[in-house]
Amino acid sequence: MQVRKAVITAAGPNQNRLPLQQLVCRKGEDKTALQLIVEETIDAGIEEICVVIKPGDEDAYRNAAGSHLGSLQFVEQPEPKGYADAIYRAKDFVGDEPFMHLVGDHLYLSSSDVPCAKQLVSIASEHDCSVSAVQATRENKLPYFGIISGSHVPRHEGVYEIDRVVEKPTPTFAEQELVTPGLRAGHYLGFFGIHVLANDVMTVIGELLDQPSEKPPTLSDALWQLTKRQKYLAYEVQGTRYNLGVQYGLLIAQLAIGLSGRHRDLILTEMVDLLANRSEVAS
Amino acid sequence: MNPLIEIITSSDDATRDQSLESVCRDASLNELLSHIEQVDQFRRSERNLYFRVRALFFLAAIYRYHLPARLKSDQTGLIPFDGYEHLLSRRFSEAIDRFVAEQQSGGPTFGLASALAQAYHELGFQTLADQVRRSVRTVRGNQWMFRLGHPADHPLRIRPELLKADAQSGVMPMLRESTAVRMDFSHSAWSDIFFLGMDFPEGARVLNVSVDLGVQGRDDHTSPPIETYLRVIDEPVLRLASVDLLAKTEVQSIADMFDFARDYLGLLKAAVIAAGIVPPGLEGCRQSMGELLERIVGPGKGLELVSSINDIPKGSRLAVSTNLLGSLISILMRATGQVQSLTGPLTENDRRLVAARAILGEWLGGSGGGWQDSGGVWPGIKLICGTTASEGDPEYGISRGRLMPVHHVLGESDASSETRQKIQDSLVLVHGGMAQNVGPILEMVTEHYLLRSEREWAGRTEAMQILDDVVQAIKDGDVKRIGEVTTRNFEGPLQTIIPWATNRFTDQLIEKCRTKYSDQFWGFWMLGGMAGGGMGFIFDPAIKAEAQQWLGKTMVALKRDMQTALPFAMDPVVYDFSINDQGTSAELRIGESAKMPDRYYALVLPDLLRTPLRDLSSGTRNELQRIGQRCRDLGSDNVTAGLLLDSVLPSSDGEDAQASSLHQTLQENGFDRHQHEQIRTDLRSGRIGLAQNRLSGNTEVADVRPSDVIDTRGGIAAKYADLGAAAIRDGQVAVVTLAAGVGSRWTEGAGVCKALHPFAKFAGRHRSFLEVHLAKNRAVTQKHGGSIPHVFTTSYLTDAPIRDHLQRLDNYGFDGSLNVSTGRSVGLRMVPMVRDLRFLWEETAQQVLDEQQQKVRESGRAALMNWARTSGEGNDYTDNVTSQCMHPVGHWYEIPNLLRNGLLADMLDQQSSLKYLMLHNIDTLGANVEAGLLGRHIDGGNALSFEVIGRRLEDRGGGLALVNGRPRLVEGLAMPNEQAEFGLTFYNSMTTWIEIDALLSSFGLSREDLKNATKVDAAVRTMASRLPTYITLKEVKKRWGHAQEDVYPVAQFEKLWGDMTALPEIDCRFFVTEMNRGQQLKAQAQLDPWKRDGSADYIDSLCAWQ
Repeated sequence: MQVRKAVITAAGPNQNRLPLQQLVCRKGEDKTALQLIVEETIDAGIEEICVVIKPGDEDAYRNAAGSHLGSLQFVEQPEPKGYADAIYRAKDFVGDEPFMHLVGDHLYLSSSDVPCAKQLVSIASEHDCSVSAVQATRENKLPYFGIISGSHVPRHEGVYEIDRVVEKPTPTFAEQELVTPGLRAGHYLGFFGIHVLANDVMTVIGELLDQPSEKPPTLSDALWQLTKRQKYLAYEVQGTRYNLGVQYGLLIAQLAIGLSGRHRDLILTEMVDLLANRSEVAS
Repeated sequence: MNPLIEIITSSDDATRDQSLESVCRDASLNELLSHIEQVDQFRRSERNLYFRVRALFFLAAIYRYHLPARLKSDQTGLIPFDGYEHLLSRRFSEAIDRFVAEQQSGGPTFGLASALAQAYHELGFQTLADQVRRSVRTVRGNQWMFRLGHPADHPLRIRPELLKADAQSGVMPMLRESTAVRMDFSHSAWSDIFFLGMDFPEGARVLNVSVDLGVQGRDDHTSPPIETYLRVIDEPVLRLASVDLLAKTEVQSIADMFDFARDYLGLLKAAVIAAGIVPPGLEGCRQSMGELLERIVGPGKGLELVSSINDIPKGSRLAVSTNLLGSLISILMRATGQVQSLTGPLTENDRRLVAARAILGEWLGGSGGGWQDSGGVWPGIKLICGTTASEGDPEYGISRGRLMPVHHVLGESDASSETRQKIQDSLVLVHGGMAQNVGPILEMVTEHYLLRSEREWAGRTEAMQILDDVVQAIKDGDVKRIGEVTTRNFEGPLQTIIPWATNRFTDQLIEKCRTKYSDQFWGFWMLGGMAGGGMGFIFDPAIKAEAQQWLGKTMVALKRDMQTALPFAMDPVVYDFSINDQGTSAELRIGESAKMPDRYYALVLPDLLRTPLRDLSSGTRNELQRIGQRCRDLGSDNVTAGLLLDSVLPSSDGEDAQASSLHQTLQENGFDRHQHEQIRTDLRSGRIGLAQNRLSGNTEVADVRPSDVIDTRGGIAAKYADLGAAAIRDGQVAVVTLAAGVGSRWTEGAGVCKALHPFAKFAGRHRSFLEVHLAKNRAVTQKHGGSIPHVFTTSYLTDAPIRDHLQRLDNYGFDGSLNVSTGRSVGLRMVPMVRDLRFLWEETAQQVLDEQQQKVRESGRAALMNWARTSGEGNDYTDNVTSQCMHPVGHWYEIPNLLRNGLLADMLDQQSSLKYLMLHNIDTLGANVEAGLLGRHIDGGNALSFEVIGRRLEDRGGGLALVNGRPRLVEGLAMPNEQAEFGLTFYNSMTTWIEIDALLSSFGLSREDLKNATKVDAAVRTMASRLPTYITLKEVKKRWGHAQEDVYPVAQFEKLWGDMTALPEIDCRFFVTEMNRGQQLKAQAQLDPWKRDGSADYIDSLCAWQ
C-alpha cells in the first residue's frame, strides 16, 4: 500500500484554534502545532495534505502552515456535522487512493527514532490494509477516545486484528465488550489519532451520512463498519500522543516536546525553580 | 476414604446427596471424633470452595447435633475466653484452633461442642459470603468501579440530552423510570439464595411474574408501584429524596455517600454507588461531591434522585426494595450511557447489567436478596434458572454455578394472554400485616441444603418437581391447578424444609378460606421467604370479588385477635394487581412536563420557604415559581395545592392525646415518680449505669466447688421422688410462670406478649408458651394426682392480653386453678446516656459482623448516639406508643407482686396445704414440677433452691459463682469483667423452688400478715432497697409510615430475682439439672436448632395436650 495523501481534521467546534497555537519544537524553534503535525506527516512520506477547516479559518491556517504551505490544500466543513462528515469533505481530494488521517488537536512524540506516522505507514505497507494507530489507554480516559478491541496478530508485535470499534465507550461497556487480551486490567486500546485508511472508508462514511440518525456519525462508527468489509488492523505505536484540547493539554504537550529536545536541561531547571518557589497551594 | 469426605467430594449425585445423618446416626463417640478429625484436616487443605464449605457445615452439625448426644450429662467443662474473643472478632479459624486444642487436652464437653458448632457454622457462612463478594466484584462491567480511586479519574459522563434546559421554560429535562415488582409462583424452596444457585445450578429455578399494584380502596387503578426520577440541578451536590419515607438529604462529600444508616436514604445511596456514579473504589477518599460531579455533570452542576414506591408497605414479599434499587440503578445507568437506551424498556443485556449491579447494591447495603428479586426489571412471566459456570466466567473452577442466573421470558405459547387474564381473575393478593426479617430463614435453608438431611432433601426434590407442575399448569391455562400446586408447595416441601415459613395467623387464614369457600377456594400461594406478609389466595373467578372483600375483613379481624401474640407491623391490606408486560421503562420529560410527583414538593417546600429567596439557586427559584403557578391555576389538579398547604401549615397530630394517655397509664400501673426522678438523677450523675452494674473489680469471683451444688444429673434417689410425688398429690406445690416481660430479644423489641406467641407446632398445631406450661402441669397431675395451681405473673403490657387470651381459649382446657398475678410496678423508659451506649457498643465484647454489615451497623450506631444526644440523655422516652415507653421493672418484683396484690393470700386460703412454689421463666420450656427435685427441695428445708445447668456458648448472662467465698448467682451484667463468666461452669436457669413460709419470713412476714397491705408494702420496699438496681439498655421498635420500623436503644432499670442468693440470711441451695430442663428459648433464631436437636421432642414428652 502506497500512501501519498493525508487528511487533517481541524474543524471541530472549540478545537479549530488549537492547531494555530505556538510551540517550541525539539530543536528549539518556534512552530505552530499545525506545522508540527504537517512535519510528522511529511516525514512519513506524504506528499499531499488536505486540512479540513471551519469556514473563515483559511487565512489563519495559511499563516500557521509555515514552509509546508505548498503541500497543503484547504477544504471547509460548512456546518459542524461531526467528525465523519469532516473527513468526508476530503472525499474528492482522496480520490481512489489510500490516505493517512490525523486529527488536528493532537501532537505525537515517538519513543523511537522513527516518527509515529511513519511507523504506521510501514505497517500498512507491510500488511497492505487499513491500519489505525492505537495506544494502551487507562479507563479514566475512555470519555475522550475511540476504543478498539481485537486479538493479537501472531508474530507481529503490537499488531492487532480489530474486532470492534466504539467511540467513547463507558467503562461498563468497555469491560464487557472491549477487553483486549494481553493488556493490564482497566486498559484498552484507544485511538492514537493517526490512521492509514483505504479510500473505501469514504464510501462507508457516505452511507452513514445518508442514514437518518439523532447523533452525527463518528469516524469510529465508520471504522466499525469497515471491520466487517475488509482487513483492518491496529498497531500499538511506539510513542505518545498529546491531546491539546484538554485542560493544560497544550502545556503538557509543550513540556513533553521540550523534555525530549535540546532544551531539556533548561526546562528542567525552570521546573525545579517553579517547584521550589511556588509551593503554596491557593485554595 | 472417610465416608463424609467421600460424600463431599463425590461426583456421583447419589453419593453427593447423602445426608450427614446417614453416617453419624449410629457412630460412637470415638467414631465421631475420628470423623471430625479427618473432615477438619480435609477442609484445611481443600482448595475447592464448596467442598470446604460443606465440610464446615458437617463439622458444625456434628458438634451441634450428634456429639452432645453421646456425652455423659456431667461432661460440662469451660469454654476458653480467648477462643470466645476470637469468635467475636470473626477470627473463626483461630477460635476453632483454640477450642480444638482445649478439646484435645481435656476431652469433649457440652460447652466446647457448642462453641465449636458456632465457630464452624460462622466460618462456613463467612466463606460463602466472601465468595459472593468476590463474584460480585468480578462480574464484568463491575470491576472498574473497584479500581477507581479518585474523582478526577471518573470515566462516566452524563448524557447530553439531560444537560439541555428547555429553551422556553428554562426547565431542565427529567428522566422518569417506572418499574414493576415481582411475585414468585415458586422459588423451588428458596433456590434463589446465591449460595444454592452457585453450588446447585440445576436446582436453582424460579418462576416469577412482574406486576403492577394498587391498594384496594385507595388506588383507582394499578400502576408500576416504583417510580424514580433523575434530573440535573444547578448546585454541585447529589440530592436524594424518598417521598414515601419523607426523607431528603444533600450529599456534599463522598464519605457521606458511604454512610448508609445515617438517614433513611441508605438504599438510594447504595444505588448511586452501585450505578458507578460514586463507585465503591472511592470509599475512603476525602474529596467532595462537587469535585466528582464536575467530572460527570459539569462545573457547578449536580444531580437529584427521587424515589417513590406508592406507599407499598414493607414486608410485601414482592421484593419492593430490590426492584427499587434496580429502578434507581437503571435510571442512573441510562443517564450515564452505561445502558444503551435512554428511554423505553431495557434490552436483555442491559437488564442483566442492572440486575448484577442490584446484587452489588444489596451487598453494599448489608442486605441480601435472592438473585430473582430484581425480576420486576424484566417484563411478564419468566423462568429464571441458575447456570453452570463455564470457562471464561469468573466463577469457573470455584463454584459449579454462576452468580448471575439466566432469564427466559415466557411467550404467548407458554403463557397465553388468556391464562394471564385468568390468573388476574382468580388471585387475591394481600399483605397480612407482618413484616418479619427473612434473613434467619435463608440461613437455615442454606444449612439444611448443605447437610442434605433426608426429609429436607426429599422436600427440595419435590419443590423442583412442583415448579415444573406450575410451568405446565400455566401452559395449560389451568389456574385451579396452579392453586393446587402452590398449596402443595406451601404445605409440603416449604414447611418440611423450614417449619417456620408459616405461622398460626396464616394457618388460620387458610383454614377460614377453606371453611368459607370449600371447593371455590383453589389454593394458597406463599410469596417470598415466609408467610404472614405478602400472600396470595386463589379463588374461583365467580366469587373472587366477594372473596376479596371478605378476606380483607377477615384478615383485619384475625389480626385484632392475634396482635398481642404475633408481631404485626400494620393492618392487613388487599391489593389490586395486573401483570406488567414491559418491565422497567423510562421516559424523558421536557419543559412543563418535567415535574416531580406532588408529594416531593410537599416534602421539600417547607425547607425551601424558610430559605431566603436570594440564597436559592436560579433553578430552584424557577421551580418555586412554577409550583406557585400550578397552585394558582384553578383549572389544574387542585390536589397539589391542598397537599402543599398541608406541608407548610400546622395540623393537629394527636401528640397531646398520646401524652395524656401515657400519663394516665403510668398512674394506673403504680408508677413511682419519686423513684423515677431519683434514678434519673443517679443515671445522669453517673452513680448508676452499665459500668456501675458490675461488681467492683476487687470482688473475688471463682467457680463453685462440687460441694456447693447438688448434682441431680445422675438421677435422684427414689426416696426424694416419693417425697415430691406425695407433696404433689397433697396439693403442696404451685407453679409461678414469669410472664411479665415482652421478650425484647424474641421479637427484637416489637412489644408483643411472648407468652402468647404460638411459636412451634406440637401435636399438630402451633402452641404458645402459656399452653406448653399448662400442658406440663396437666401431665404432672395426671401422673401423680392432686392439683397444682398455676400462676402467670403479668405486667401492664401482658396482663390484659393474657387474661383475654385465657378467657377466650377457656384456659386451654386446663381444669386446675389458674391465676393471673397482675404487676404492681412499672417504670418509664429513658433516653440512654451516650456514656452507656459507648460502654455497650465499644467497651464490651461484641460480635463483629461481616465487613459491609459492620460498616452499616457502625453508621447506624453513630446516628443513634446522635439521637440520644439531641433528644437529651436521661430524658423520659415518650416518642412512641404508650406501651413502648413503659417497662416492667425486672422479675424480682414478680414474687413481691404476688404478696402485694393478695393473690398468694387467696391461694393459701383456697388451698391451705400449699407450701412450695416452683418459679420459672416463660422461656424455660423444660421446667416442670419434677417430683425428685421437689423432694430434694423439701428434704433440704431451704427457703430457696435454684436450678443451674452446664454452660454452653449461648448461655450467657450470669451463672453460679463463689463470690468472696460464698456461692451465689451473679447476673451477667454484674460480672466484674467479661472473662469472669467464662470461668463459671454453671448457668442460672432461674427455675427456683421456694418454700413459702421461709420466703415470707425473710421478708419479715407470716401467712397472716399477707392480709395487711401496709405491712406487706413496707416489707417489700425494705427488701427491694437491699437489692441492687441495674440499668439495662433494651431495644424498642417504633413503627411509622407503612410498616416501617426503627429500633431505638432505651434505658430502664431492673431488679433481678437471682440477687436473692446474695442476701446472707436467705438459705439457698443449688441443684445442677439436665441441660434440656434448663434450656431457654430467647430468640427465634434458636428455634430451628432447638427442633432439630431433639429439644422440641423432649418438651413434647413432658406435656399432656388437650
